[in-house]
Amino acid sequence: MIKSSVIKQIPNTLLSVIVSCWLVASASAQEDNFLPFTNDSFAKIKADFAGQEFLVGLWSVDCPPCLVELDMMGELLKANPDLPFVLISTDPLEERVEASEFLEDFELAGRESWMFADSFTERLRYTIDPNWFGELPRSYFFDANHEMQSHSGIMTRELLESWFSRALN
Amino acid sequence: MLNKRKTYVTQLFNALFIGALLLTGSATQAAACEDASTVSVHCGNAPSAAVDDQGRLWVAFVQDKHVYVSHSDDYGSQYSTPVKVNPVAEDAEFNGENRPKILVDNNEVYVSWTKKTSPRFTGEIRFSRSVDGGATFSEPRTINDDGLFTGHRFESLYQTESGLLYMTWIDKRDLEASIEAGDDYSGAAVYYAVSRDGGATFSENYRVANHSCECCRIAIAPRGPDNIAIMWRQIFGVTTRDHAIAVLTPEGEMTEMHRASYDEWQINACPHHGPTMIQGDNSDDYHMAWFSNGDAHQGIYYGRFSFADQQPHDVYQVDGGAGAGHPYLASKDGTLFLVWKGFNGMQTDVQLITSDDEGRNWSTPQVLASTVEGSDHPLIVESDSESDNELYLSWKTEESGYVFTPIRKQVTGEFSD
Repeated sequence: MIKSSVIKQIPNTLLSVIVSCWLVASASAQEDNFLPFTNDSFAKIKADFAGQEFLVGLWSVDCPPCLVELDMMGELLKANPDLPFVLISTDPLEERVEASEFLEDFELAGRESWMFADSFTERLRYTIDPNWFGELPRSYFFDANHEMQSHSGIMTRELLESWFSRALN
Repeated sequence: MLNKRKTYVTQLFNALFIGALLLTGSATQAAACEDASTVSVHCGNAPSAAVDDQGRLWVAFVQDKHVYVSHSDDYGSQYSTPVKVNPVAEDAEFNGENRPKILVDNNEVYVSWTKKTSPRFTGEIRFSRSVDGGATFSEPRTINDDGLFTGHRFESLYQTESGLLYMTWIDKRDLEASIEAGDDYSGAAVYYAVSRDGGATFSENYRVANHSCECCRIAIAPRGPDNIAIMWRQIFGVTTRDHAIAVLTPEGEMTEMHRASYDEWQINACPHHGPTMIQGDNSDDYHMAWFSNGDAHQGIYYGRFSFADQQPHDVYQVDGGAGAGHPYLASKDGTLFLVWKGFNGMQTDVQLITSDDEGRNWSTPQVLASTVEGSDHPLIVESDSESDNELYLSWKTEESGYVFTPIRKQVTGEFSD
């Protein structure tokens, strides 16, 4: 038999309280343009880019190689400002101040940017790609038909040129 | 090999009892923790646990910039009022790979953690102890001795049979030095320190190896009465992030270092997936489990490293499914227990496999516990007191709070009529 005495102690309260905690946290500092990434956000991003190619960069404040990639992307986007690039931070929205500082440093603060806004991170990752184990940085390229290609580790200019099928400045 | 009866009974067992664990779905512990003044194992973050010789459960966790220690005399039904370890608030790290550690030796309680400091990716290795059975704790000390604001993180704490305390961690002092010298340096380094007096003092810091991965926990197992074997993710060549194993002595020497896994993971990224390792029945054998997404291996793997031939043996894919991660190994009375976390699109399951022949053959997986909310890595804690000879699953979920539940009692259910 399972001893479930710990489990029996659980008070019967509602999930909505957690959700309201998230909302309170996200309302407290609105200096940045982070959007809360929830279970339906990736579908929304794809819908926003219907019929268009786009690039997704997943990163975290706790990932040293991500800095290298953000630095590279900041430079690349300065020379190619029209590149459709969406950033998703896997850090909880409560860390938005720190995350925002990163993006400002690399001149990426004006880009479309999301942060994980549900502590059930496994499910959020699954909505992006069931085959992603969570390693960072992680990137996805969707062509105009939304055929997806993925990459783990720091992106390179060569990789991006092959994904976008054109030379970049 | 697993016989058919065992498989059938396992399935029946899962059907009957796992449902019970899932019944908690409508309640959520996190909501009960909304009141910030509630400090408890259920509301804290990234708990670690140990059971002492008297059968008392000890849990260390982080809440509101403090490390706390609480204990339980009934294996997790009721807990003592948590005792604050660091009197002054500091940014103690709390995530799956970076959690406070706790060890108990008679009346002494040892606690370590990583303190996040302000430049990015930096931290300090912190240690405190209680010599009065957890009533009070010494002022926390910084164990890294370089005085640099650089990365000192992902600490592990281990006590040998002879009573030596080892602390290992990931260290970026050599990376800093290389940058200053204008040289390239991939990854970080592994360092350690030893205490011969129960944590009253620690040795100077010793370097194990350059070019470790930056963000994975280090696994420690005994190697004789005084030495330890450690396993960590190491960068081989330029970008191959597989695993290494080494033997460390209390004098600061690394006597052996070998490659322990051949996954061929060519990646310049942070896996945040550290290994687990325990010593086998044959003292030259070390049971290992790890995660890789390399060219050769993808998912959770088991392997048994032998110091006799310096090779991994019986390498076995435990779970190749995406979402599989964070394995943890333990053994009891000749049986190996391996738990890990998986996600099936709807819920997170902690799964278990066992082996009665030193990892040559494994049972089919059974689900030990599940959640439909966020959760920590699963750990196994051994209880070896006169009254209790058990392994426990130690797992924090937002749904159920801190769960400390016997594992062997569930597995022996397989054979019950």
